[in-house]
This record gives sequence, structure tokens and C-alpha cells, in this order.
Amino acid sequence: MKSLLGFVVAAVVLSAVAFMLGSYQTDIYRKLLLWTTLALSYNFLFGIAGQVAFSHFTFYGIGAYAILILLFQVGLPLPLAVLAGIALCVVLALVVAIPATRLEGFYLALATLAFAQLFIVVLNEGRTVTGAAGGLANYRLPDVFGVRVTGPWYTVVIVLLLLGTLAVLWRLDRSWFGRACRAVRDNPEAARAMGVDVARTKIIAYTITSAMAGVAGMVYAFVDNTVNPPIFGLPNSFLLLFMVIVGGSGRHAGAIIGAALLYLMPFVLSPLIGHHHALVFGVVMVAVVLFQPKGLIGLWDALMARRRAA
Amino acid sequence: MKKTFLRTALSLATGAVMMMAAPAAMAQTIKIGLITDKVGPAKPYAEPVTAGAVYAVKELNAKGGLLGRQVELLVEDDQGKPDVSATAARKLVDAGAAFILSVSLTPATQQAQSVTLETRTPHMTPSNSGDTLTTQISNANFWQTGPLASTQIATLLSYARNKNFKRVALVTENSALGQLTNQFFKAGLEKNGIQIVSEEVVPGGSTSADPQMQKVRASNPDALFMTGVTTPENALILRSYRQLGMKTPILANYNMSVPVYSSVAKGLLDGVAFVDAFDPAKAETQRFIEAFKKDSGNEPYNLNGYGYDGLMLVADAIKRAGSTDKDKVREAMQATRGFQGVMGGVGASYGFADGRRTGFDTNGMVVRVYEGDKQGKVVHVGVK
Amino acid sequence: MNDFLELVVGATASGCIYGLVALSYLLVTRPTGIINFAVGEWSMVAAFGGFMLLSRWELPYPVGMLVVVAAMFGVGWATERFTVRPLVERGAPPLAPILALLGMLVVFRELVSLGFGPDPQPVPPSFGFGRLELGPLAGSYQSFFIITMAGAVFGAAWWFFERTLAGKSFEAVAIDRRAAALMGINLRLVTSLAFAASAGVAGLAGLLVAPNVSAHYLMGLPLAIQGFTALVIGGVGRVEGALLGGLILAFAEQFTVRYAPVPPGLAMGVPLVLLIVFLLIRPTGLLLPREARA
Repeated sequence: MKSLLGFVVAAVVLSAVAFMLGSYQTDIYRKLLLWTTLALSYNFLFGIAGQVAFSHFTFYGIGAYAILILLFQVGLPLPLAVLAGIALCVVLALVVAIPATRLEGFYLALATLAFAQLFIVVLNEGRTVTGAAGGLANYRLPDVFGVRVTGPWYTVVIVLLLLGTLAVLWRLDRSWFGRACRAVRDNPEAARAMGVDVARTKIIAYTITSAMAGVAGMVYAFVDNTVNPPIFGLPNSFLLLFMVIVGGSGRHAGAIIGAALLYLMPFVLSPLIGHHHALVFGVVMVAVVLFQPKGLIGLWDALMARRRAA
Repeated sequence: MKKTFLRTALSLATGAVMMMAAPAAMAQTIKIGLITDKVGPAKPYAEPVTAGAVYAVKELNAKGGLLGRQVELLVEDDQGKPDVSATAARKLVDAGAAFILSVSLTPATQQAQSVTLETRTPHMTPSNSGDTLTTQISNANFWQTGPLASTQIATLLSYARNKNFKRVALVTENSALGQLTNQFFKAGLEKNGIQIVSEEVVPGGSTSADPQMQKVRASNPDALFMTGVTTPENALILRSYRQLGMKTPILANYNMSVPVYSSVAKGLLDGVAFVDAFDPAKAETQRFIEAFKKDSGNEPYNLNGYGYDGLMLVADAIKRAGSTDKDKVREAMQATRGFQGVMGGVGASYGFADGRRTGFDTNGMVVRVYEGDKQGKVVHVGVK
Repeated sequence: MNDFLELVVGATASGCIYGLVALSYLLVTRPTGIINFAVGEWSMVAAFGGFMLLSRWELPYPVGMLVVVAAMFGVGWATERFTVRPLVERGAPPLAPILALLGMLVVFRELVSLGFGPDPQPVPPSFGFGRLELGPLAGSYQSFFIITMAGAVFGAAWWFFERTLAGKSFEAVAIDRRAAALMGINLRLVTSLAFAASAGVAGLAGLLVAPNVSAHYLMGLPLAIQGFTALVIGGVGRVEGALLGGLILAFAEQFTVRYAPVPPGLAMGVPLVLLIVFLLIRPTGLLLPREARA
């Protein structure tokens, strides 16, 4: 009950902020919320389930393109398109998960890297279906029951997406499934010995998180009302990994901190030090791994522990 | 006593002078926004264009500014990422930019348009050449004065008219702009009844273009059109071409006019014809070259000219509008006719007649041929 | 037929480049289990080194090449000393050094881009750009030079691992770190040398490929991915595997483009599909490590 209240309060507060921001700040806020959503689901996949995958951002792209194609080319009404989009993401995630989760560590990384690149190739060759290299533009969100959802109200949709994702992941994490994922991550042999179906756990973890990324993508499609291949390329996949590492992998709070920090950093640094901010990125990443491998959330924990001890 | 009095009088006088000067210093600047790429794949092209615009602002301000006010250029970095470009556009709109210039990647400019469309902010790209920028979204606030791919191919074809090419090959790479340029070159060729006998793509990161060039050689074309826009891949293509002993005439898009090829593709350029928009012999251009060189110490080249012309066009529109009101500026921009800039061949001008939003003179591109590794003089102008 | 043979030479040269990058991964992965994605950036750094020494200062080619490779040994050693050793000695999980090196990837790339600017720079080839015909085979001087150099490096690596005691100790570390330490093998030295050698090999690859593609600050990532793909195909266990993987990848890429009736855009997907298929069917690669065969 307490957590439900917490979520409602968070929803109200985060939504209220949306109504107070100018258009530039709204844009940053919305994208920050989306990146945080992605970081949370990626954190579950990478930090809790221990799967090193580079396909997360690709599913974001799959979701975005899927909803657009279903809405504007297949002509489905919005509710049906959303459901069909989710179904498509789940099916595709399964198709990738079943063979991929048999691979260990860096093999999985490589396979998902190849999958991510293959997605871009398919987008570029998709001619009118995907808009090829130019992408899709010139559309807007259709009315929902006659109501046009724009501006701060759409930001509320993103807030709900973020909180919904967090809620699901939180429940999963604290459930038996979450423990199974961690067991598989730390020692698959021991987990198997304890009766955990390793393959099935991995597949489910991958499918759920990838489908979540897809749903986030569907929401993203209407933020800029443009999608094109460069948005979903490799650099953003790496950025997502960096976010989770810097924030602290395995911890929801870590994902939130990492996303916020790394997303906002270029905007804050750029006016100060120009284009050197990319260098700062690399240095921060190395510094965190070397000196604070638990991520920035580790610093927070240490602070809390010291306070408690004092 | 007297000394104190003098001192007080002096400070009062200074204060009065400062107070009189203060309003002038606090006078509103005219803000023009510029979205560029400082860290990503468009950097080699965006940086010089930005430098041209920055210099234009300097020149304007030295001559008294615009409408009696100083011009302030607000530069934003979109890191070559289309979604960040949209965010940067919003920031510029909120900061009160009267006009926004986009000089980063083509998809980035496209994404920024979603913002300028919504906020009805005048927006222009002086350097992007992708034709779809003015057609994919119907944005009455957006203009393009970069060298369109369709103009490039028309100019090249006009140059090659007496050579009677019937069967040609196209070679490009897999960037968004490369693919787009290829698409429009292909359309232009097919419209003229020319058959495309082979079409090859050299992906980014390749170590060799031999397989693609062998295919081209095997198809025996009358000419080879290079439509790629990335330096390493174009260098590979030229290297392969020489390696395979090919003699097919090469006609290249304007990317080959960028000076970097003279150092990176040394020994490979002789005889390559390319389309450009910079005629160093033109009077206007010569004046620009002298002034820019004096100011920065470097000799300018075509990319700097795009930035310079872009900013000057914007300044001209604002001047004719008489204010920074967005609607007035839009009307003034659309009404631009016969604007003589640095770019383009002799007699070329910018204009947006008949409601068009592409302003580069379709007759204003030139064809030059590499002599050794140096860019030779202009051998052909326009599409006659 | 001429086309075919000429493509054989070109594909072999490309395959050698991929193989060298794969070897670079292998030299570090075998003794330490660490996958260093920054090898591509090492190649890039060496390419720019080549630009400075050979194009700008116009040193004679052998001198320039030796200085660059030697400098890369230093870079590799420094990378290990400052970003990997602290982690290994602290007992950090194996993922940690890999992530630190990913961060170094960004650092290397940005430093070069800040130092040299965004424009690509020329790097001269060893013997100029000419065409050599050896019987029915024909190719550029640079292609033959690449093949020769790669052959020499792989030959030396094979001889080192198979025939020398030092090489055997590397293998021992690869098979069982703790046992090797107990046998008196200096783990720290092995790791340092592995990184230094890895950087040297990656640097050589960069120097060899740059005359054709120019030295540019974005060239690292594609090389890293191609090298890694070659490693997966050939197998991590043996030095020869790296070369074999590189050759198979290059041949698959180039011959598909040349002869397969696939539209050019989709032909780019071929190496990716090949990789995925390999990972699913034969993740250990084609050549198994020696001990597995016994």
C-alpha cells in the first residue's frame, strides 16, 4: 500500500513539473524520462539478469517503427496498433532470445551487436515501408477517443510509462523471478542445481525487458514526430551501457542516476567546455569503473552507511 | 576641500556618462541561432560552414550591425544526433532566435524542422544538399540554399551533353546523405534516358572497394558517377579505380570539391570532374577570400562560403522585414530574389521564386576538373 | 578469371588486416580473459602516428614504422598499467576491465580528434601506389606488403607460442592462472607484455590499412568489430585461428559483393548474418585450442 501511495505521489509530482516547463525544457525532460525508462529496463537485463546485450536500443527502434507502420501503413486504429506493436515486440524478442541466450558473455554481446547493425541495414533498405535512409516524418499522434494528446499531457503519458516500467521491474526484482535471475547471473551451475530453469529464466528476462524497450519506443515515436536510422544506431546503445555502469548496475536507483547524469551532462558541459564533453564522458566512465565499481549509487550507499553509523 | 570636490565631480560625471552608455550596451541584440555538429560524423563539414557564418556575423557587426543592433550568433551543438538537434532547436527558439540555421547532418536538420514547423520559426540550411528536406515535411518556414543533388546531376549532365553517355555506373556509400544523393542522381540520369548499368555501395568501414569497382568495370559503363559523401570510402573508390586500371570518365558530386581530398587522395584525382559552387575567379568570391584570409589567416574554401552566404541571406531578409517578427521575416525571406552571394558561378544568384523553398540558383553550379591534385578552373557553368 | 585472382589478392590483404586485429584481441584475451574493445582505437592512434612521422615529418618508411610500433608497445603497456592492473589486483569481476577499456575507447578517440581535428589525414604506403603482377596474381604494392607483414607477424607469433619457453608460459597462464603463478610464472609481466604486444599488432594493422582509407578518428570502431568477428569465426584458442577467421570474413564479404546477385545495400548484411550463424552453430570458432584436441 505504501509503495502504491509512493507511485501516485511520484506520478503527480512528475506530471506537475511537465506543466511548468517551457518548450525547450519540456523536450529535455521528456527525453530524460525516456532514457531513464530505457536505463531501468536495461539495468534489469544487464545488472540483474547479467546479460551483456547491445540490442536494447534496437528494440526501442523496433517499437518506434512498428507503431508507425501499423498506424499509418497498415491503417490500424490506435488501441489496436498499440496492442499489435507490443505483440510484435514480444514475438521478435522471443525470436532473438531463444537462440541468443544460449550464448555466454561476450558471444551474446557480439550477437546482439550484429543484430543491432542488421536492424540499421534493414531500415536503410526498407524503401517506402521504413522510409529508408530518410526515415519517417510528417505524422502526428492520432486522436484518442476524439481527444488530441499533446504538449504537457503527452509528457504525462511518458511519466506513466516510466513509473509503470519501474513498478513492473520492482515487483519482478523482489519476486522469486528476480532472485532466479540473480542466481543465474552469479552462478548458472549452482542455480541449475537449485532447480532453476536457467534457459527459461534467461529467455523470459530478455523478452520482458526488450518488449519494455519496444513500448518505450512506441511512445518515443510521437515526441519528435520523426524517426530515422541514425537515431537508433550503435553509439546510443553504448551510451545506455555507460549509463547503467556509471549509475550502478543492478540497482534501480543506479539506473536513474546514471541516465540523468549522462543524458544531461553534454547539455550542461557544452556551453562550458565546448566539444570536449565527449572526452569527459570517457574519463568519467573509466574513473567510475576504476574507483567506484559499484557506480555512483555506491557513493550514496557509503554516505548513508556513514550516517547510520554516526 | 577642492580636491574632494574635484573627485566627487569627476565620479558624478563618469557615472553620468556610464549611465548614458548603459542603455546602448543594454540594447537588444538580434539573435540568430546556428545548429552545428562539433563532435559527430558531420564535424568535418559543419565546422567550416560554421566558421563562415561566424565570420559573416563579425563582418556585419563591424559595419554597424543589423537594423541598428548588433547580431549575436547562438551556436548549439547537436553532436550529429538528430534527436538532440530537435532539442537544440527548441533551446534556440526559447532563447529568442529570430532565425535558425542548420548545418549538421541532413537527418538532424530534418528532425529540427519538427520544432520550427510547430513554433513557426524561420529556419534554413545553407549547406545540406538532400532534396527531401523541403519535400518530406511541408514546412513553410524552412528554406534550403545548399547545393541540391538534383541541381548537381543536372549540371553534370549538361556538362557531359556532348559526350553522349548512354550507360553509366553509380558508386556511393551507406550514409543517409550518400544514399539520398545517389537516389537523386539516379532519378536525374533516368529522366534523361540514360541507363544505369551498375549501382554499387561501399559500406562505411570497408578496407577495400575492389569488389564493387570490379563489378563496375565488368559492366563496361561510359561514365562513372560518384555519389558518396564520406572521405575514406571515396578515397577507397578512387584507389581501386586506379588499381584496376580503369579509364572510365568520373563525374563526382560536390563532396569531391572539399579540399581534404587533395591530401588524402593524392595522385588519384587527375581528370576527375566534379560539381562545385565556388568559382574563385568571381569578383564577389575574390573579395570574400581576401577578407576572410585577412581575418583568420586561413584561405577559405567552398564550405566557408556556404556559411557566409547563409548568414548574409538571413541578415538581408531581416533587414527587408524591418524587424525580427517571425511572420514578417518569413515573408521577406520568401520574397528574396536575385541575391548575389559568394557561392555559385558568375551570374548566379539566390531566390525563392514561385513559392519554392530551395534557393540555390539551379543554373548556378559549376563543373571543375582536377588537374593533378589541384582543383582546376571552372570549365562549365549551369544547366544550359 | 583475372578479376577473380585479383580479388583473391585484395581479399587476402583485407583478411590479413582483420586477422591482425583479431590477433590483437587474442594476445590479451588468452592470458587474461579480458576483451579489449579499444584495439580499434589503438589502430587509429597508430595511423595518426604514421601521419605525423611519415607524412608530416617525412621520415623514411622503415624508421617511421618501427617508431610507431614501438610507441604502440608503450601505449599498450600504459593502458594496462593504469586502467587494468588496478582492477585485476583489486580482484574486480572480469567485466570491470572490459568496461574500463570501453571507456578508454572513447578517451583515445576524443584525444585524437581534439589533437588532430576532424579531417582525415593521409598516410603514405610502404612502397608507393603501384601495381604488381606475380604470375597470374595481381594487386597493389600495398596489398602484397600487408600480406607479407601479416605473414611475418603471424609466423613470429606462432613460433613464439609453439617453440619458445616464454610462449609456453603464456599458454600456461591462459590455461590456469593460479597454477601458472604457483609454477613461478610472473603474472604481472605476462599481462604487461600481452597488452604491449597487442597494441603493437593493432598499431601495425592501423598503419597498414590507413594508406588506403586515410587516418580518421572514426576508423576504430569498424575495425574493432571486424576483428572481433574474425576472432569468433576462427576461434580464440589458436593464433592461426585469428588469421583464418580474418581471411574467411574478408573473402565472404568481398566475394559476396562481387558475385552474389544481392542488391548492394543488403550485401552489407552478409558478414553480420554470417557472424550470427557462426555464433549459433559454432561459437567456439573453427579452430579449437590445442588442449581440446588431445
